[in-house]
Amino acid sequence: MTTIGIVLVAAGVWGQRLAGMFLVGPILERRPILSRAASLIPAAVICAVIVQLTIANKQQLVIDARLAGLVVAGVLVWRKAPFILIVVAAAATTAIIRAL
Amino acid sequence: MDDRPTEVSPRLPGRSDLATITLTFVALGITTQVILLDAGMSPLKAWIASSVIYSATSQFAYIAVSQAGGSEVAAVVAGWIVASRFGILAVSLSRIFRGGVFSRAAAAVHAFDIQVGLAAQQTDMDRAKKAFWWSTAAMLVGWFIGITSGTLLGDVMGDTTRFGIDALFPAALLAIVGNALRTRDGLVAGVVGAVICAALIPIAPAGLPIILSVGGVGAALALSTRTAR
Repeated sequence: MTTIGIVLVAAGVWGQRLAGMFLVGPILERRPILSRAASLIPAAVICAVIVQLTIANKQQLVIDARLAGLVVAGVLVWRKAPFILIVVAAAATTAIIRAL
Repeated sequence: MDDRPTEVSPRLPGRSDLATITLTFVALGITTQVILLDAGMSPLKAWIASSVIYSATSQFAYIAVSQAGGSEVAAVVAGWIVASRFGILAVSLSRIFRGGVFSRAAAAVHAFDIQVGLAAQQTDMDRAKKAFWWSTAAMLVGWFIGITSGTLLGDVMGDTTRFGIDALFPAALLAIVGNALRTRDGLVAGVVGAVICAALIPIAPAGLPIILSVGGVGAALALSTRTAR
């Protein structure tokens, strides 16, 4: 991350938290459809980031050992495993497949 | 809420709940630092970034876009969009924390899924605040132990793809978004967002596929209003 990137992302994170508390909260309380839409944004965007990190190499779609790690993570998330187990199992799966 | 004092309130988070929160954030902190160092940041800068940004997912989104070859602007925008989650969590907190500007601001900057979830379960305000601040303390301790030890650890690891570190990153995100994907609307938004992104990666400029994945929200809302009729 560049220094300016760190500053801007930090400002966005802190700003949105404060805006949520002081500005958006009172507005959304009266508009349920907007609050539903807003609450779904993270699910959509985080899943897109996962895709970018798992099946893409720059601007090409590729399938490699990372996908196996994600599948293992998916099963563990579904079974409500602890966070540390999920990430370690995913990394280990990918590392083992690469070593084969 | 205060006018129903006899209602059975869910128990406050106990010692083992708090320990679990601490451990989770130790793990997330280590993961975050290893990923930042792997992306080429210096240890000190990586530690400062995690301390001031205070949001692993926003850092992950930024790095995902810049590693894909996206512009600085696209990377920052991706970080902001992902951080909208905290804005939403702060909205839920605004229903619990009333009164003083300072206490509300202090609560808002600590809006994370776990604490907001624990606070929202409580049926009276005092207990909700107690649950929130105890779990926040547990998180802060875990996060700073995690990013500090992650910084030291990542520095001595060397070639990280050997350990599958690049698989840590999406797995951590999946674990964070897991609860949202358990609801039907959340699942539709997530799957459609993922499909939009995958379809656009080969044709759109880097970073844009992630930003345009917000279209998944529209799909989820359209589907749920249609089935409601």
